[in-house]
Amino acid sequence: MNPQAKFLFTTSLLLGTTITISSNHWIMAWTGLEINTLAILPLISKSHHPRAIEAATKYFLVQAAASALLLFSSMTNAWYTGQWDITQLTHPTSCLLLTTAISIKLGLVPFHFWFPEVLQGTSLTTGLLLATALKFPPTTLFILTSPSLNPTLLSLMAIASTALGGWAGLNQTQTRKILAFSSISHLGWMTIILIYNPKLTLITFYLYCLMTIPIFLTLNTIKTLKLTTMSTAWTKIPPMTATLMLTLLSLAGLPPLTGFLPKWLIIQELTKQEMTSTATIIALLSLLGLFFYLRLAYCATITLPPNSINFMKQWQTNKSTSMLITIFITLSIMLLPLSPM
Amino acid sequence: MDLPMILNISMLLTLATLLTPLLSPLLVKNYKNSPSTIMQTVKTSFLISLIPMTLFIYLGMENITYFWEWKLATNFKIPLNFKMDQYSLMFFPIALFVTWSILQFTTWYMASEPQITKFFLFLLTFLIAMLTLTIANNMFLLFIGWEGVGIMSFLLIGWWHGRAEANTAALQAVLYNRIGDIGFILCMAWSATTINSWDIQQLSPLNQTPLLPLIGLILAATGKSAQFGLHPWLPAAMEGPTPVSALLHSSTMVVAGIFLLIRTHPMLHSNPTALTLCLCLGALSTLFAATCALTQNDIKKIIAFSTSSQLGLMMVTIGLDLPQLAFLHISTHAFFKAMLFLCSGSIIHNLNGEQDIRKMGGLQKTLPTTTSCLTIGNLALMGTPFLAGFYSKDLIIESMNTSYLNTWALSLTLLATSFTATYSIRMSLLVQTGFTRTTPTILINENNPAITNPITRLALGSITAGLLITTYILPTKTPPMTMPTTTKTTAIIITLLGILLALELSKMTHTLIKPKQNPLLNFSSTLGYFNPLTHRLSSTQLLTTGQKIASHLIDLSWYKKMGPEGLATLQLKAAKISTTLHTGLIKTYLMSFALSILIILISSTQ
Repeated sequence: MNPQAKFLFTTSLLLGTTITISSNHWIMAWTGLEINTLAILPLISKSHHPRAIEAATKYFLVQAAASALLLFSSMTNAWYTGQWDITQLTHPTSCLLLTTAISIKLGLVPFHFWFPEVLQGTSLTTGLLLATALKFPPTTLFILTSPSLNPTLLSLMAIASTALGGWAGLNQTQTRKILAFSSISHLGWMTIILIYNPKLTLITFYLYCLMTIPIFLTLNTIKTLKLTTMSTAWTKIPPMTATLMLTLLSLAGLPPLTGFLPKWLIIQELTKQEMTSTATIIALLSLLGLFFYLRLAYCATITLPPNSINFMKQWQTNKSTSMLITIFITLSIMLLPLSPM
Repeated sequence: MDLPMILNISMLLTLATLLTPLLSPLLVKNYKNSPSTIMQTVKTSFLISLIPMTLFIYLGMENITYFWEWKLATNFKIPLNFKMDQYSLMFFPIALFVTWSILQFTTWYMASEPQITKFFLFLLTFLIAMLTLTIANNMFLLFIGWEGVGIMSFLLIGWWHGRAEANTAALQAVLYNRIGDIGFILCMAWSATTINSWDIQQLSPLNQTPLLPLIGLILAATGKSAQFGLHPWLPAAMEGPTPVSALLHSSTMVVAGIFLLIRTHPMLHSNPTALTLCLCLGALSTLFAATCALTQNDIKKIIAFSTSSQLGLMMVTIGLDLPQLAFLHISTHAFFKAMLFLCSGSIIHNLNGEQDIRKMGGLQKTLPTTTSCLTIGNLALMGTPFLAGFYSKDLIIESMNTSYLNTWALSLTLLATSFTATYSIRMSLLVQTGFTRTTPTILINENNPAITNPITRLALGSITAGLLITTYILPTKTPPMTMPTTTKTTAIIITLLGILLALELSKMTHTLIKPKQNPLLNFSSTLGYFNPLTHRLSSTQLLTTGQKIASHLIDLSWYKKMGPEGLATLQLKAAKISTTLHTGLIKTYLMSFALSILIILISSTQ
């Protein structure tokens, strides 16, 4: 892509995100979101094959609908209460509409259908942006309006997201779709605790981003888009497959690794709020995710592929690994001792 | 003359003499047993055992010795307790006499057996176990003898272990005996917990013994003495050599069950239910065995069923509360039954292994001694007046007719008595009379004194034993003296009826018409359909229940399907449904979004 165009789009993304997270007025929030939507579209469709174009189209339709709903909810609230303050969203219907709008933007069940296909249509770096950076503004809006949202609806959507993220992810062989469903699953965890402790939502989101970034970057480095390619990935950069395994298990939430922290804190908070059955259900459903993470780790590290490999390691290495991946990997494995209690 | 000491010493000497062939190879260097030495040992033992018997007859002296306790727990002692009373003092000489004759016969019968010494040693071990059983005063020692005779029976029935039927028969014997042992152990457990002792003397003072230990004892007797229900092993035990059948399955081992009931009679005496149970069980056994014997063609099987029938009769006597009479029948029965088996052994060997009576005939001229003794034995079995069997059998039937009891049991026993006559006469007729139906190429002779001497000795016993025993041993209960003439002569009349029937029927068989099958014939020849029903049915039931419950229900259903595999299948289903939902059509997606929003709005404004 043209470097100037790329520069323009990237800065527009930054601008849009910043506008939304620092806004007090609904119109400003809406503006930021729209800028984000428009800026990411060319990035999604930068390789011009039909799948990317279709992904871009789906993304636009869905996000435009979501933004319209958001505007509509803020307008009805302004009509009823006479003010456009984000934190003062009090009318119930507005809250519901806002919840649905943001769920569509994030990709919570039952509004998640666009997410796997869009992620599959783009390259891994754009996918990274979609999965982490573009989720930030809607999450912020959720956190800002969290006191007035409907708990039942949020809990239902959260549990359904975790469940569907697990079940649908079981039957995938494309790594990008697997990561999409893992994202949906983690969104479920974020949403379940939103009402009770928004700070935990935030920490879950941060840690989720922290763990997903190295995975996307690793997959980009060793260029694996399918499970079959995954099994020969060890020939490219052997240490990377080992760390990939650890990062995947961290994403699954295994105890000595960082990913355990959000789950732990959320379950603790839920039990404090007398929602033990919810905590049990959501914990059990995230086991399904563990299975496909394990499958990815298994294909990457533990097994050898059925095809014969003539050489131990490929002599050409097309990219040097950046420091960025190393930093993120280290953080996503070792951060548990720093847990805030 | 310290007579009690002589009694004690002579009994112990009897037992010690029997132990010498077993212990001498351990103590003497290069000692080799031989069949004749073992036979001489038993003969010596018999002669020694006559001393205590004489002492008992003339002085009525009984003795209990008690030495060397096994201190199992602080308050539970198991001593080595010998009771030399009427039963054991009379049984010893009789058993030893019969065994001596059988061993002498075996020196001829098993002459071609390469391991004949081992066979003799087995028989000797069996005898020792049986005598231990007889002389035991506590149930522990009795159980040692009980199990000993069971094991030896297994080893001896399966003597020709290359033969599959012999192995099956031996297993059958052990299994059925084991079922009886459960009852024995039940009684032992009950007495250990209630009376804190296994002494048989201490069992009697109870006013009303509870039914549980008695059921155990009756079960033990059913197993060991082949009463109906646990009877199939006795006909199958005929797979063993004839001396084994003669010793174990006619005179000694099978009477062990009855002997147990005789010993524990004071317990049974106070419980009318148990007595009725014995009565009915015995009556059923005796009739069933007699019915089965009517259509048997194997000479040994006929004698086996007649043993079974007489055991039923002994059980009936126990049920009539007459233990002494049962013991009398045991004693007299030993003589003529052992003799019948030895005669059949002689016939079988002489006819070169032929056991089917349809292929024998006219043997009276070729084997005069054997067949005469066969006739004597059959007459004694039928209860011919003043032979041995008469004294016990007639008394039993008289007592039965004059006592207040179950009519059904009475009629069954009388019917069985007539059947006894029928099948005995049938056997004699087919074996001894008529034209020869054997193959012409066999050498028949009984020139060997090893054949004739034992048989004639036992014949002498069959004739005189009844008279001698009843003369010298006084009954403890007064026998019924007065009764109507018909009642007195019931046994003889019924026996005569049976004989006449047999003679008439045998005349019919001279007209060479193939016997038609009818249900009664089928019932009798298949031994009452008992064997296929119980052997197949119970094992199939057990195995299918085991498969259903253990394998299918627990292993398969609970551990697999309800557990891991079921869970995995469910998840698989859910995963498949979820992936089909993601169709990729944006219109469907947007439609679902709209629908979801509508539902959310509608349901939350309610």
